[in-house]
Amino acid sequence: MKLACAVAALALPLAVVNGQTPSPVAIKDAHIFTVSGAELPKGTVVLRDGLIEDVGANVTIPADAWIIDGTGLTVCPGFIDGLSTWGIPGAAPVAGGGRPAGAPGATPAAAPAQTTPAPRSNGPEDRPQTHTYERAADLVSPSDHRLEAARAAGFTSAVTFPNQGIFEGLGAIINLAGERGRDMVIMQPIGQQVVIRPGRLSSGFPNSLMGNIAYIRQMYLDLDQYKRAREIYDAHPGGNRRPEYDHYLQALSESPRLLLPAVEEQQIDRMLAFGAELKTPFVLYGLHEGFTRVDQLKQANVPVLVSLKWPEKPKESDPADIPNYRELVLRQRAPSVPGMLSKAQVRFALYSDGIDTAPELRKAVKKAIDAGLGPADAVRALTLSVAEIYGVSDRMGSIDKGKIANLVVMRGDPFEDKTTVEYVFIDGQEMKPSKELQKEHPPGAAGAPHPSENLEGGQN
Amino acid sequence: MSRIALTAAAFLVACGAAMAVDSNSVLIQNVTVHPVTAPDISNASVLVIDGKIAEVGSKAPAPAGVTVVDGQGLHLYPGLMNAATNVGLSEISAIRDSVDLDEIGLFNPELRAEIAFNPSSEHIAVTRASGITSVISLPGSGGNFAGLAGGEGTVISGQGALMHMEGWTWEDMAIKPSAVMDVDFPQIQMVPHQFVVLLGLPQRTFADVEREYKERLDRFSDFIERARRYKQAKAAAAPDFKSDIKLEAMIPVIDGKIPLFVRASRERAIKDAVAFADKTKVKIIIADPLELGSAGPLLKSHNIPVVLGKTFELPLRDDDPYDTPYTLPSQFYKAGVKICFGTFDTEFARNVPFEAAQAAAFGLPHDEALKGLTINTAEILGVGDQFGSIEKGKVADLILTDGDPMEARTNIKRMFIAGREVSLESRHTREYEKWSKRP
Amino acid sequence: MRPIASLLATAAVLASSIAAETTIIRNATILTITKGRIEKGSVLIQDGKIAEVGTTVNARSGAIVVDGTGKYLTPGIIDCHSHTAVEGNVNEGSVSDSSMVNIKDVINPLDINIYRALAGGLTVSNVLHGSANAIGGQTIVIKLRWGKTAPEMIFEGAKPGIKFALGENPKRQGYPPDFFSQGPPEPRRYPGTRMGVEEVIRESFAEAKNYQAEWKEYNDRVARGEHPIPPRKDLRLEPLVEVLEGKRYVHAHCYRADEILMLMRVADDMGFKIRTLQHVLEGYKVAKEIAAHGAGASTFSDWWSYKIEAYDATPYNAAMMMRQGVVVSLNSDSDELQRHLNLEAAKTMRYGGLTEDEALAMVTINPAKQLGIDDKVGSIEVGKSGDLVLFDQDPLSNYSKVLKVWIDGHEYFDRGKDLETRGQFEQRKKVLLDKENATPAPTNQQPANQKRGKHPNEASPTEVSR
Repeated sequence: MKLACAVAALALPLAVVNGQTPSPVAIKDAHIFTVSGAELPKGTVVLRDGLIEDVGANVTIPADAWIIDGTGLTVCPGFIDGLSTWGIPGAAPVAGGGRPAGAPGATPAAAPAQTTPAPRSNGPEDRPQTHTYERAADLVSPSDHRLEAARAAGFTSAVTFPNQGIFEGLGAIINLAGERGRDMVIMQPIGQQVVIRPGRLSSGFPNSLMGNIAYIRQMYLDLDQYKRAREIYDAHPGGNRRPEYDHYLQALSESPRLLLPAVEEQQIDRMLAFGAELKTPFVLYGLHEGFTRVDQLKQANVPVLVSLKWPEKPKESDPADIPNYRELVLRQRAPSVPGMLSKAQVRFALYSDGIDTAPELRKAVKKAIDAGLGPADAVRALTLSVAEIYGVSDRMGSIDKGKIANLVVMRGDPFEDKTTVEYVFIDGQEMKPSKELQKEHPPGAAGAPHPSENLEGGQN
Repeated sequence: MSRIALTAAAFLVACGAAMAVDSNSVLIQNVTVHPVTAPDISNASVLVIDGKIAEVGSKAPAPAGVTVVDGQGLHLYPGLMNAATNVGLSEISAIRDSVDLDEIGLFNPELRAEIAFNPSSEHIAVTRASGITSVISLPGSGGNFAGLAGGEGTVISGQGALMHMEGWTWEDMAIKPSAVMDVDFPQIQMVPHQFVVLLGLPQRTFADVEREYKERLDRFSDFIERARRYKQAKAAAAPDFKSDIKLEAMIPVIDGKIPLFVRASRERAIKDAVAFADKTKVKIIIADPLELGSAGPLLKSHNIPVVLGKTFELPLRDDDPYDTPYTLPSQFYKAGVKICFGTFDTEFARNVPFEAAQAAAFGLPHDEALKGLTINTAEILGVGDQFGSIEKGKVADLILTDGDPMEARTNIKRMFIAGREVSLESRHTREYEKWSKRP
Repeated sequence: MRPIASLLATAAVLASSIAAETTIIRNATILTITKGRIEKGSVLIQDGKIAEVGTTVNARSGAIVVDGTGKYLTPGIIDCHSHTAVEGNVNEGSVSDSSMVNIKDVINPLDINIYRALAGGLTVSNVLHGSANAIGGQTIVIKLRWGKTAPEMIFEGAKPGIKFALGENPKRQGYPPDFFSQGPPEPRRYPGTRMGVEEVIRESFAEAKNYQAEWKEYNDRVARGEHPIPPRKDLRLEPLVEVLEGKRYVHAHCYRADEILMLMRVADDMGFKIRTLQHVLEGYKVAKEIAAHGAGASTFSDWWSYKIEAYDATPYNAAMMMRQGVVVSLNSDSDELQRHLNLEAAKTMRYGGLTEDEALAMVTINPAKQLGIDDKVGSIEVGKSGDLVLFDQDPLSNYSKVLKVWIDGHEYFDRGKDLETRGQFEQRKKVLLDKENATPAPTNQQPANQKRGKHPNEASPTEVSR
């Protein structure tokens, strides 16, 4: 066993250890956040065949297990990104939808270049920017170079969506590693994401926020009609023209929930009403001004995803241009939103919103903790809460017997500055987290790898 | 007679159209005179001889051959002045063919608004009908930013002219052909970050933008320096001296005869403009400022006057108090700065009295507001000895009103420009008359 | 604070500040607009409505008493053409008929221009889609209830509208490329002429009639017990059907006399009425026809010459149309102009010789009539909403200032309070700025933004204070 560990340790830092992890694995005497139950100051977890076999304060360790000494280590369920484009090679970071944030280091939120320019849309019938049928599960690949950075931050899984258009497509929950793309998929479709895109006049309809809203509304009316037409036709085919097949609506009908963008308080109000009007289960994402809407969110009983890309003072600005009070308050208070939602027991989770380096991800979560989110709640917000919102909490998101063996093992408390990620397990396989990618590099330093550099696209 | 026709007829009579005086000498009797530079005089007369004010207040009868106008107890004010317009140079702003503003080129001091001033522009009569007897007509619109529509933009747009609102040709109408040198002072223009992200623009650093700004300022001061040396070379009559139309046009600026009309909206720009004027030793007027900040003492100590833009504006920033643009004129006044009003446009040049009134509603003493339309304007433009008040010896630009001309309710009844009565008809009144007669 | 406690605290604050205030304004010059002027009069507002108007009003216990001595009281000002409080583009300019979009969906209650307009006496705005399309989006009437949410600003009971646009704006995208322009030509969007503008409207309504018939047929078949598949619900045609059924007002941006006449004839052909003609700068040429059709005219006080279709405009327009029997209002179409519509009204006294009541009617009862809300607002009469403005002098004077504004009996603007709280607001902002510029290590502090001393610029009293 010790020899195997030594071999693993000598392996190239960036190498993925493919299916070579001896099974079972036991992490012994570690500080364990089960998330679903009690925090174990000193516990043991056993993994076998890709699942969690046992967890507790006193657990029998199988004789053939590879034992990792958990002294001084902390074990959490592998973090799950609540909304991302991880795993889809070539996808730009997910768009925020509402106010563009000014976070330093964020890659510019330009839409990815399309291979052919879309024809000018003359109205809703042209189904402008409607990629309802794009399926994240079809697009994910372990070759996405960004995955390394995510794993280095302790993420084992993510909710991932394609990211073009107003209706971006059917998302999936994936593991951030696998032999082939299809092995990464845990569940799909888990939703349809909407991004508001008031395009240029020359690209046609829609060209405004209200155009986007009218279009989404029309799509759902069309979906309703599509379903009813089918029902009626199936019951009474005689005398009725057969309904057309519509692949946009077919895909839309598959989605169990709609993701709607809402960053500012009036956008939150608007989308709460709009989601209810569409009569579909929905989730709001963004939420930076949510600190004024905690009660309303509680009452509405709608789950929300809070973006980790906190609004910040832009690096470059004219000192004579003083920001508005509202903007200053937003920058001050946005990080407190997760803590407030947690205290009010509003269902929420966190998402990366395009942050794609391990140190930045960690710092972003730390900022929320410093602003009032309890450390254990922070772990939950990136594990079980995500799983609950997307309906997969029966199989992942906590360290419980029978759940998928996705774990992150850290030295130090989760999200603290000096904490390092030592081991990452995905489906019970050890994925060595890159130490290099966990280090903070000054911008532009030679040799610093940028995780979002994708050298190739490609599927599966 | 239909109600409409009756009203129109009454209107025509009120205009005094049937009683127009055809000469530039007149005795206006039975009015309350508002000299502006002296206390009001009720029940008085003003005698105009050969276009100039000869007597104020006296009850003496008219000299022979001089028509008498019965003022009917109305009010006599100096003709109002608008210190910044594009009247005559722009007809319909959406139609480029009808607009003569913002010529190409970084430094265009030789361009003269005067000669492009269209005496047949409909805007002249329309402006006049609100009691305005003269305006500054500027060759720049203030919107010619560097980089827009690809190019360097403009720093010096040309010479703004003070023009009477009546005449057959621009020669007739020109009071002071080169009253000011229109300048778009370089400003630091940083695209706010959210638009950079939204529009996918390259993010520039403040240091870069500031450096560009300083370079542009340097080019400007270099140009003035070249003009100074040109003047010396010319005076020295050097054998190889070659005349240069641009530098030639700068000589009056070097001599302090024509001030730079510096459009500077932000506090920083105002301060930089004052420092620039010190360095290059030229006279300046600050034009269309949007804030004062702490620049008051600087302006006062340098005796730099200000031509204010519209009072009816929105505050610069969301957090600014709602009445900030309304109180801005009084801020300048309280800081001891000499102010007058301009509208920096064409179609609302006629509303400059209301801009002044709004300033008076929000803290500027009423009399100062009136001075900002009359004597202050004249003095700032260097014609204070001839215009801006009802005083003996001055040019007889006068308006007869039934009340305070800064009130919209007031009617402007009659107008005299250089002593000659002018019609208050315009395109607007002609449409009114014609269509009122539709059966 | 625990969530429940803070919820109750918020509710308590809201209750005390919004519900049923009784207010008496005493000894002011009351300009009722419809029932003359009352010197040294008083008004009682109770339960959000005007309860008494007269030379005296008896004291009520618990009433807020406002001393109106030397001051003037008018109804809240109404703006029939506004684009304030709209989030995102005010135009869906991509298509020539964009009736599927709705301004109601994008009201932004935090637009500071709402507050700035309030400070000028404005209480009601007809918020419109832009003029990029022959048939534009659906429109909504709001009350400027600063601090409330978007749904709370909607004027309950005001009929919704739809925007049409004639003339240059809706045809501009259809122009051929400029001879001197460089680069690839922008794709043209039909129509490119006034003739095409008419065609768009006729065609859309023809489609709407077909759609109406389709649904009627479907409903008939269902009533007969059949099982037809329903037609597709088309958000573009629904509002046009509502126009045909008289359930939605048409507000049409127009300039030239020929297009004004054209639109009224099209409406006649289609069987509906134009509710208001907007801008209508050449309305004076066809005032007779406008009066006969029954359209209201909402125009500018003195805008002209910025486009060639505005070149024949005359500031006498309002007076001329009024005298032909048209209900005329003056509007702003501008975040800036909406702050002083009383001063715009005063211009009709110079341009046309209107009386004081006629002038003020242009921005009060007349727009109320045009919007079908004159039973509720537009004049100071018992039973109408407590929408009132207190001026420091005659509102038709260019020297006047707004002191207070009430909507539904609640004080939404007070100049004194605005002046008083400025200093504290600046202080609070400075604290945040200093904190940000010092870039300290992250702390757990919340900024000091208690409700007490909050400046009106900061909306959103729904924020939970902790």
